[in-house]
Amino acid sequence: MSGMHEHGGGAGWWPVLAVLAVAVPYLAAGLRLHRRGDRWPASRWAAAAGGVAALATALALPPAPFAVHVVGHLLLAMLGPLLLALAAPVTLALRALPATGRRRLLRVLHSPPARVIVTPPVVLVLELGGMFAFYLTDLFALAHAHPLVMAVVDLHMVLAGLLLAVVLVGADPLPRRPRLAVSLLTLLVAAAGHDVLAKLMYARTLPAQGGTPAEIRLGAQVMYYGGSAVEIALAVAIMAGWYARGGRELRRGVRRTAQAAEPAGTRARG
Amino acid sequence: MSPTGRSVLAGVLIGVGVAAFLDETVFHQLLHWHHFYDGAGLEAGLVSDGVFHAGGWIAIVVGLFLFADLQRRHLTVPKRVWAGGLLGWGVFQVYDGLFQHKVLGLHQIRYEVDLLPYDLAWNLSGALGIVVGAVLLTGRARQVEAA
Repeated sequence: MSGMHEHGGGAGWWPVLAVLAVAVPYLAAGLRLHRRGDRWPASRWAAAAGGVAALATALALPPAPFAVHVVGHLLLAMLGPLLLALAAPVTLALRALPATGRRRLLRVLHSPPARVIVTPPVVLVLELGGMFAFYLTDLFALAHAHPLVMAVVDLHMVLAGLLLAVVLVGADPLPRRPRLAVSLLTLLVAAAGHDVLAKLMYARTLPAQGGTPAEIRLGAQVMYYGGSAVEIALAVAIMAGWYARGGRELRRGVRRTAQAAEPAGTRARG
Repeated sequence: MSPTGRSVLAGVLIGVGVAAFLDETVFHQLLHWHHFYDGAGLEAGLVSDGVFHAGGWIAIVVGLFLFADLQRRHLTVPKRVWAGGLLGWGVFQVYDGLFQHKVLGLHQIRYEVDLLPYDLAWNLSGALGIVVGAVLLTGRARQVEAA
């Protein structure tokens, strides 16, 4: 099977290396925290494991039939990045790195390009632009002919998906996190764009090199419904975060009222 | 936003979401009356379809979380949730039935049958939802009892 790896561009070790490049630093940083006696939540370990598994599965899937390729795409560009964002890799890095490393990372995170790249319009262009270009133009054929192009496309898909997920639901700190309404609007545009892309693929039987028309239409439907599943997960993650923040505020409010009421008159409020 | 406004909003979102969900599961998946794409519509229609497909799912998730938030704060105004729900469902139904099916020609409710009774049932049920929802928006409405 290994000669057939589409994302591997015809065998080679780089998919394994790519997955290790994600998994090993995360594992090392998490273990470092544990050795120090700090706790890194089990939920984040689980999210990271799931994300790495999604990426590894995507890279191991064969390129044909087209529907299988699409499953790989959903894992690589959508589900994997969502799980990795929930694993809060930047927070982990900031806590595990020594002081100099932490300062360097913060400098990168606060640099002007980083501030621009996390704004919703830029995120959307990167996310949707890459997918539309890949599936509706000759880029699809080009990437299947040249492993290096495929590697770059895959990398772009993972990073764009990760950026979207980090901005929308990630636990990592951002220079500016969009308000709830902006997050939901961003998700709506991304999700609608994905649905439109899937229907265009179906209507125009693209990408032409994807296989027979029947195979392409099946793949387009997998893209449509599988994409919806991940988009629902994104919506739930956004709203669950909002609900949890509201709950913390409520509990703080209850504590404050209790404190204010309890020693009636003996203590100032606040 | 006031508890009443938030109750209506939660209802509208859940209503739109339920309409989209029923459209997707019952008519597309279970009955196979609707087609994924029938090749007849304008490609511009696909954009409208995509926005409403995605919007429907997002609406139901957001609506349910807003409702849960109202419930835990004991701020729900049930009558207004129903008002919003029926309005949201009705408006979506009529938008889908008149604009997407007829103006954009995206797909029809069913194929190889006389469409008129289906179109009437589809759009009149939506219109009924709008009317009942609008009525429930008027008059007095009480908040749930604070615990």
